[in-house]
Amino acid sequence: MKKVIMGNHAVSWGVRLARAEVIAAYPITPQTQIVEELAEMCAAGSLKARFIKVESEHSAMAACIGAAAAGARAFTATSAQGLALMHEMLHWAAGGRLPVVMADVNRAMAPGWTVWTDQNDSLSQRDTGWIQLYCESNQEVLDTTIQAFKLAEAVDLPVMIVLDAFFLSHTYEPVDIPDAADVDAFLPPRKARYKLDTKEPHSFGALAPPSVYMEMRLRQQEAMAEALKAARAIDEEWGQRFGRRYGLLERYRAEDAELLLVTSGTVTSTARYVVDQLRAKGEKVGLVKARMFRPFPTEDWRAALAGVPQVAVLDRNISPGHSGIFAEEIRAALYDLPENQRPAIHGYIVGLGGRDVRPETIIDCIDRTRAAAGARKGTEREDVWVGVKS
Amino acid sequence: MSQTVIKNQVPDQELMSSGHVACPGCGGSLAMRMVLKELGPKTVIALPACCWTIVAGPYPQSALGVPVYHTAFETAAATASGIRAALDMQGDTDTTVMAWAGDGGTFDIGLQALSGAAERNENILYVCYDNEAYMNTGVQRSSSTPWGAWTTTTPAGTPKSHPKKDILSIMAAHRLPYAATSTIAHPLDLLAKVKRAKETYGTRFLHILAPCPPGWKTPDEQTIDLARQAVNTRVFPLLEIEDGTRWRFTIDHPHEPVADYVRRQGRFRHLTEEQIAHIQVEVDERWKMLEGRVRGQG
Amino acid sequence: MPDDRPNTDFVHGVPPIAVSSTTTMANRTGSWKYIRPIYQDKIAPCNAACPVGIDIEGVMNLLREGHLAEAQDLILRENPLPGVTGRLCERPCEGACNRVQFDEAVSIHAVERMLGDLETTPMAAPKPARAEQVAIVGSGPAGLACAWHLARLGYAVDLFESEAEAGGRLRREVPEYRLPRAVLNREINRIRALGVNLRTHTRVGVDVKWQELSAYDAVFLAGAPRRIKAIDLPGASEVHGVHTAHEFLRGGPGQPVDLLGRRVTVLGGGDAAVDAARCAVRHGGRVTIVHDGPHDSLRGHADAVKEAIREGVRFVFDAAPLAARTSDDPPDDWEGRLDPADVIQGDGYGVRARLVGVEFTRSAPGSTGAAGMTAPAGERFFQPADVLIDARPVPADLDALPSEIARVGGVLAVDAFGRTSRESWFAGGDAAGEGGTVAEALGSGKRAAIGIDRHLRARAGEEVPELDAKALRYGGTGNMSMTRWRGDDPVFRTNELNEVVTFEMLNMAHFARVEAHEDRHLDPDHRGFGWAETNLGLSTEEGLAEAARCFNCGVCNMCELCMIFCPDVAIKRQAQGFSLSYKYCKGCGVCVEECPRGAMSMTREGL
Repeated sequence: MKKVIMGNHAVSWGVRLARAEVIAAYPITPQTQIVEELAEMCAAGSLKARFIKVESEHSAMAACIGAAAAGARAFTATSAQGLALMHEMLHWAAGGRLPVVMADVNRAMAPGWTVWTDQNDSLSQRDTGWIQLYCESNQEVLDTTIQAFKLAEAVDLPVMIVLDAFFLSHTYEPVDIPDAADVDAFLPPRKARYKLDTKEPHSFGALAPPSVYMEMRLRQQEAMAEALKAARAIDEEWGQRFGRRYGLLERYRAEDAELLLVTSGTVTSTARYVVDQLRAKGEKVGLVKARMFRPFPTEDWRAALAGVPQVAVLDRNISPGHSGIFAEEIRAALYDLPENQRPAIHGYIVGLGGRDVRPETIIDCIDRTRAAAGARKGTEREDVWVGVKS
Repeated sequence: MSQTVIKNQVPDQELMSSGHVACPGCGGSLAMRMVLKELGPKTVIALPACCWTIVAGPYPQSALGVPVYHTAFETAAATASGIRAALDMQGDTDTTVMAWAGDGGTFDIGLQALSGAAERNENILYVCYDNEAYMNTGVQRSSSTPWGAWTTTTPAGTPKSHPKKDILSIMAAHRLPYAATSTIAHPLDLLAKVKRAKETYGTRFLHILAPCPPGWKTPDEQTIDLARQAVNTRVFPLLEIEDGTRWRFTIDHPHEPVADYVRRQGRFRHLTEEQIAHIQVEVDERWKMLEGRVRGQG
Repeated sequence: MPDDRPNTDFVHGVPPIAVSSTTTMANRTGSWKYIRPIYQDKIAPCNAACPVGIDIEGVMNLLREGHLAEAQDLILRENPLPGVTGRLCERPCEGACNRVQFDEAVSIHAVERMLGDLETTPMAAPKPARAEQVAIVGSGPAGLACAWHLARLGYAVDLFESEAEAGGRLRREVPEYRLPRAVLNREINRIRALGVNLRTHTRVGVDVKWQELSAYDAVFLAGAPRRIKAIDLPGASEVHGVHTAHEFLRGGPGQPVDLLGRRVTVLGGGDAAVDAARCAVRHGGRVTIVHDGPHDSLRGHADAVKEAIREGVRFVFDAAPLAARTSDDPPDDWEGRLDPADVIQGDGYGVRARLVGVEFTRSAPGSTGAAGMTAPAGERFFQPADVLIDARPVPADLDALPSEIARVGGVLAVDAFGRTSRESWFAGGDAAGEGGTVAEALGSGKRAAIGIDRHLRARAGEEVPELDAKALRYGGTGNMSMTRWRGDDPVFRTNELNEVVTFEMLNMAHFARVEAHEDRHLDPDHRGFGWAETNLGLSTEEGLAEAARCFNCGVCNMCELCMIFCPDVAIKRQAQGFSLSYKYCKGCGVCVEECPRGAMSMTREGL
């Protein structure tokens, strides 16, 4: 059924169709509509779940962990400060190998207070062990939310679905909402391998001495590698069932490109527009959209970017003291390519704190990239801030 | 009968095994043993950072015969809430979900989650075993540490200068259906309260005094007697509170002098006569306040 | 406990998460300890204080469980006369009772009496019959005890008694209202039912020659007659109205003595004086006991003294008799008329004078009876009296005993087992100076029985337990235990240490204060001149309740507090006693500290 819904509600629909059983969430702008809608669904009985209205995000994640540990399908949503507050427990969910699913509405970190979008909140959690998927449209949000549960439960790792504050969260778009029966066929009930069960009592998470801790982390890393494969398979299955595929990354008009833009989130849709404009003028510009950030699909990036002379990565985030994070990770992924295959990576910092990334901004990045062609690398800054007052 | 024979009223079942690594004479280990005897195998424990994190044994061991989820320090009540929701969704409303936390994880870092759960009247049993400091990390003060006590962060030159936080009043203010205090020296009182808590719906709070030989600087074998004396001196009265409003004492309390209790503990060795007298005054005033509540005037 | 099946989801040797697959039992935390607890029964102070050597604590323990018959049996294994001792004993057990330091002693005598009076069939099983025969001279408590124990050890016993009935001073000197004859007879019959051959009316040395006793394998000299002598008081011989307590008490209720309205003075401060006084009351007299010493030097049984006072007996202290005054020789200010009818005729001794009173001198300042008036020491006073009973102590007469047996201090010399200087001849009770109280005499008879058994079995070439006197004695200093000697102690003991439990070894936290049950007594107003027993004791329910007050010092009674309070679950209940796993015990000592009765100890041995 097609509905025009806001991005936040697309999350809610995804959670409902995925039949989450326990939801623990704390309100924070701009996530609130996710949980409000879920509360309505629970009250109306269209979603049979326990909604724990916890008193903080840290407790939200703790409650999800408890619920998942007891075998339930658990979900939460948050943003910025709330995600940061959860940090300790993000490690716990991942190290505890619990398939918790969370929607993070990308919002810039305070201070100063802000509710507008950038990616620092989610990206600064990149080392916690969560799978991260970045969405461009409300349809993608809904589809990815449902896929997230299947992916999480396939590899026993938690999954974070990321959507831009306001540009997605609060923007209404038409969304094709799949039938519940079809989703059930795609996503059966959770069967936990390990769970709190009085019939077979175990303790979970006791002291792990140096002699075993590293191997457990290795297994977690191996699960991340599995997640790459599982994500592809799930995406393919979704494509077959529902006609929509997203991939771990998406190449748009990239075949003979001399310059590729790399974007994520809603900047991608603006970038598509710019690429179309430039292609119409005969310029060989393409786009690669980053969807899966963790696990980082290194091989896919190498395949997408090898041999392309220039790559302009647009980061709506900054790792202070270093560079934009997508740029940094892509540079690292490409480092081992043969020299003649390795593109010049130009990183641009755009749109922090919700500053609008307009087509002009993107064209500015492309122009700067072209202007830097041939320049000796190593002397330029790794991050170029575009659209800032000088 | 002159010796109170309790053996027939203590359940036989053991859900805690030997070989756990608590200190000799540990009050907290006995507390767990007694509580589980009453709760039985249909119990799931959310266990935050505290002595019991270590006492339960390292991977791959568990000293407990019930499922346990080790969780972060401040999350006992929140984790328990999540476990409860999951079990309820699975149709299991019988299994008791217990949060088992120390005083640090209850009075301090865990207070927010506990307050949140209590306000929502989550159907969990929250047990705080109180050894009156952060014992697991080496005897640092908590807000549960009594006034005047030595700890590593309140050394003898500057002992704890604030009174013990009145956690019971805080919990009572949440109007939870059942809250109670007990100690390991009063097995029948403790077991009865666990039983009552088990059969009550909603957030139930049990505060158990569990003396700690290394932290209190007392001989190992004195653990039970110290808990007993804490009650007999009214330092730690035995109470039940229903719905946060109806308070009652669950034994007739003697009124032994606090000095006897204080002087036998190394953590109070530095106290002067005036300070001990001050403690007596505080104990007596708190007692009067409790009496007022019991009479319904509080 | 966590599933111990191996976890199959192992990669790189680990599961994906830290999930438990075993208990903590692999941690032998017992290696931490430098001191360890042991179950170690000890001796209750009452056992050690009892001159008979009864396992009093064991009796109380059985009664706590309601096992009346077993409790009675346990007493009988050591003491054949519980009905007697429950009534007459001075109760050193109660003085030693640890409960005194908490609230009040357990009323042990009342419990013993209750058990003694129970109509149950004694279960005490004798050993198989032996060939040896033993002669016992004297059927007072020492002789009765020795006969009882020897018969239970399988010996044939001939018990010689010079009087018409067995019982010795119990029968002759303890009045009916203190020791009903029915009780005494029942307990003596219990002994006879074992096959003891009681030969009354038989004076050894006269009716049976001493040499005849050599035919026996062993001989026990258990008693000695009291020296019947003239009353040691000037002016008192050949006077009508003057009696010895000995002859006065013999008569008992049947004695045709009419003292109605008569003033009676009794000399003495022991049981004989008190009993004579109370008998005189029952015969109608107005009685005063005059004791040459202060109040607290009275040697009579405290209960009997109390009852005497309730019955109207007056006491005068610190006064020594100087002379009896008679109708021939009245005091100067004597106002009584001398009626020729008062002079007794025709009694075969000529005309005897009649007693009018006794002159005393105060040996210490004392009350004159008038308020606030004190008479000085040395002052003389005259006490009018129609009857004088001399109840002052009379030594035993050992002249009739074979002279070749060594004496010391006027009595036969014996060792801890009653052996005399004569081979196979033993002595106890009054003959050996061990008959001062009923309990002492009973204990003496038991020790001699052990001594005789050891002697005869050694002589027969049998193996004899290697237990010296100390090992047989409760706490090393109390009286000997027959069950220890026989090796058939029915009580389950763990690792018994033969030392007495002090109050400090107990834990009062587990006890509540409970007042002792007091014996019920006949209302003095209702005693009239009757001879009914005045101390009614306790009912069976009260006796059981009193036994429940016993701390059971030193002996585990399976209260399970050790097990309940063990933080390491190292103690488990067994069919008897507990098992303590030293693999896990950390030596914290909580169990020993909490044990209410000191039945555990901490030790560094074995580590």
